[in-house]
Amino acid sequence: MLKVEEPQPVHFSPALIEKFGEIVKRYPEGKHKSALLPILHETQAELGWLSSEAMDKVAAYLDIQDIEVYEVASFYSMYFLKPQAKFVMEVCRTGPCCLVGAEKIMDHLENKLGVKEGEVTADGLFSWRGVECLAACGYAPVLQIGPDYTFYENLTEQKVDDLINDLRNK
Amino acid sequence: MGRKLLLEHINVPGINTLDVYRQNGGYRAVEKALKNLTPDEVVEEVKKSGLRGRGGAGFPTGMKWSFLAKPEGVARYMVCNADESEPGTFKDRYLMTHIPHALIEGMIISSFALGASTSYIYVRGEMMPQIRILERAIAEAKNAGFLGKNILGTGYDLELYVQPGGGAYICGEETALLESLEGKRGNPRIKPPFPAIAGLYGCPTVVNNVESIAAVVPIINDGGEEYAKIGIGRSTGTKLISASGNLVRPGVYEIELGLPVEEFIYSDEWCGGIANGKRLKATVAGGSSVPVLPANLTLKLANGEPRLMSYESLSEGGFATGTMLGSGGFIAFDEDQCIVRNTWNFSRFYHHESCGQCSPCREGTGWMEKVLHRLEYGHGKMSDIDLLVNVAKNIEGNTICPLGDAAAWPVASAIRHFRDEFEWHVNEPAKALKTNYGLANYAEPIAKAEVTTGN
Amino acid sequence: MSDKVKVTIDGITVEVAPGTSILNAARQIGGDIVPPAMCYYSKLEGSGGKCRTCIVKVSKGSEKDPRPMPKLVASCRTTVMDGMEVQNITSPEVIEARSGVVEMLLINHPLDCPVCDQAGECDLQNLGYEHGLQKTRYEFERRTFDRIDIGDKIQLHMNRCILCYRCVFTADQITNKRVHGILNRGDHSEISTYILAAVDNDFSGNVIDVCPVGALTDKTFRFRNRVWFTKPIDAHRDCPTCSGKVTLWYKGDDVLRVTARKDIYGEVEEFICNTCRFDKKKTSDWVIEHPTHISDASVIASNHYETLKPLPVIQNNPQLQQANKVELEKTAKF
Repeated sequence: MLKVEEPQPVHFSPALIEKFGEIVKRYPEGKHKSALLPILHETQAELGWLSSEAMDKVAAYLDIQDIEVYEVASFYSMYFLKPQAKFVMEVCRTGPCCLVGAEKIMDHLENKLGVKEGEVTADGLFSWRGVECLAACGYAPVLQIGPDYTFYENLTEQKVDDLINDLRNK
Repeated sequence: MGRKLLLEHINVPGINTLDVYRQNGGYRAVEKALKNLTPDEVVEEVKKSGLRGRGGAGFPTGMKWSFLAKPEGVARYMVCNADESEPGTFKDRYLMTHIPHALIEGMIISSFALGASTSYIYVRGEMMPQIRILERAIAEAKNAGFLGKNILGTGYDLELYVQPGGGAYICGEETALLESLEGKRGNPRIKPPFPAIAGLYGCPTVVNNVESIAAVVPIINDGGEEYAKIGIGRSTGTKLISASGNLVRPGVYEIELGLPVEEFIYSDEWCGGIANGKRLKATVAGGSSVPVLPANLTLKLANGEPRLMSYESLSEGGFATGTMLGSGGFIAFDEDQCIVRNTWNFSRFYHHESCGQCSPCREGTGWMEKVLHRLEYGHGKMSDIDLLVNVAKNIEGNTICPLGDAAAWPVASAIRHFRDEFEWHVNEPAKALKTNYGLANYAEPIAKAEVTTGN
Repeated sequence: MSDKVKVTIDGITVEVAPGTSILNAARQIGGDIVPPAMCYYSKLEGSGGKCRTCIVKVSKGSEKDPRPMPKLVASCRTTVMDGMEVQNITSPEVIEARSGVVEMLLINHPLDCPVCDQAGECDLQNLGYEHGLQKTRYEFERRTFDRIDIGDKIQLHMNRCILCYRCVFTADQITNKRVHGILNRGDHSEISTYILAAVDNDFSGNVIDVCPVGALTDKTFRFRNRVWFTKPIDAHRDCPTCSGKVTLWYKGDDVLRVTARKDIYGEVEEFICNTCRFDKKKTSDWVIEHPTHISDASVIASNHYETLKPLPVIQNNPQLQQANKVELEKTAKF
């Protein structure tokens, strides 16, 4: 359980609230809870992660109970309930990718970045983690980076190095 | 060269745009369906086509549609299942990326057939780029009058929306998908009632896979009977196969059902054989959930006849010697791959993806993963092998949704066909950490009909 | 009667209203053929289907369609059809599968019955006794969670939870606000409030009564006594909030705890309010009715309402008599 020492106020930009409004329109009258998943994605894209305050604010917007948002956010693997590195490199670790070297790519990331799975580099830029099947088995090994979930396919150690350099200079 | 119905124009530059898609015959089927056919006639064509659900279960699509309840004054929903997450399967991603209008056209026709005025495409959240592609394509279609009010002047209204998932394999199960679409945790519902009676928001709903919906387009263009002429027996039409693993050319292929497996693996028209000049050890023919088969049983039936890429031929022999077409996720393992390690990997996947709602799956998937991990890392016991078989049996069939079965089958089948490799891991733990068991006799011709006791 | 449907369970035929579940039809017959239920709760809409302990075999679907059902089904969520034939304890397949389910429920359970307040009235304990193996086949570390207080009167001991969701349904259906729920996924799922929050409303205490295991316990009763040493008495009071019909659990002259009254399937008859449950612990608060009926099979039934008959070994040994003096006196006094 999360112990909130000091509530951290969150601010949603007007653009974000506007997006919420657009999303809610997709569902029939009274079924606006359907907007929860897309709204959480938009919120995370803006804030980088979902703090309990951010989730409470979403709950208030949708007029649902706070716990309903926590339940949903913690169920799905894409929502970050803790602050993250700027670039979270998510490497597919499921069967077909491992047949063609996904584990080597993860080992390489660990060496190259100098951090273990889930840890953040000292500069706050990078972290990496293994995720389950990304449905790109034919282009394996693959990794993705949010919040737009750009895909990097047919990875080699060289490609990973180049990618890290590119991101560093971004 | 087999016939291509879905991917015929895949290499045309700009086929992802409405204009190019239309120049290549796109949206003809919408015009035909909405202007010349009644909804029931569309359903009838799909029934005649013999199309079977392309998401994995293989249930006849037309029949599923005909089950839809149609009470007066109650909305009906058409939902597309684009939560593609079955390991080994990536055809829907490919289709949505390169030819999004095929899905949208199929959605319009399907929604019309079922009388839905609001439809959703539930795309797995990780496919954010595909979500943007679809949203753009929907906007194009709407501008051109294929969506919105009074489509093509026929009086039919349809709004189509894309809904992102949040990262959960279980949402590929149709009732979990509906829960998720309602903004809840993706816990599968207890059936009955089936979605056809009470689905999204308690209303009658049909949920179909991306490829099934896209296949409706050629069915309407050419007629259900023409479609049914392609393929073999009850496996009609073409199927997208996602080929991955140790193949020379992995990728998405559209095949006519009935293609010999051997030809699919080795022909230069398709996968081009096993990569790096190695030999085939095993395959998983229909996505990670279906039973794994050794090379010999992949290529040939127990009676020595060639095995074909079709629903029936792949499942020939039951689970003793057969497997399933599933979602068409074809994974090839070369001689250097370790079956124990892969089985552990798959069971980690199911452990991670179990929703945790019902006890056999919640507890059993984790248990199997731990035992397999122990075996793979040299701490296994001989009794672990039978323990796994028994735990898999206790999960199978005893859960709310098929994830339990999907978690049990890969483990049970791996032990059924590769038991000696598991035993080798127990007997030679140090060796097993450094080297692999190799091809052994898994590619040798089957001497006679192999009879095992099932699980 | 034409508006009833006929169903046969383990060879016993009963006529029930259409729409009745197999489990409830079995409860109308009663006795050993009633499947055990860990998550289903007749008073909570939407409950059931999850634990899988109530699975049965449908050997004949109905008169119209006599085909058997291909898989075992959850009897709590499967509706009877006219002419349906069901096997529960007469099917070895069901008994075996149920044992498998019980094993699954126990592999991550701490088995800390000796220090658990629920022991003696625990559905999982009973189920394990009837269907479990003597030794576990599970050789890995069990998952653990921190113990937390949700409010000042309720303790959540997540290690013991079997994720039946009953407490979640209770909060949704009989309280005005739910602050706890199921977080995370798979075998990491847990009941939690996520942020530090108290479950605090007039009816929150009912989650203790609906919990089939010792995951949600009454802090005012915590470690006070073993339930089988306490004596349940039905009583009532004029309560402005709830029906005021409760069971008082006595030890000597002291009311150690108050619970709702439960039926033979362990379900509360009527939900009670927190005032009755936590704040009225004097005999003078209540109108005493009569001793609560307790099934012979329950451990709580032992040494109740009659003089404890000491075992011969105690009768013959003054030292043991002395050691049990307090218990013997108290039992005799009641």
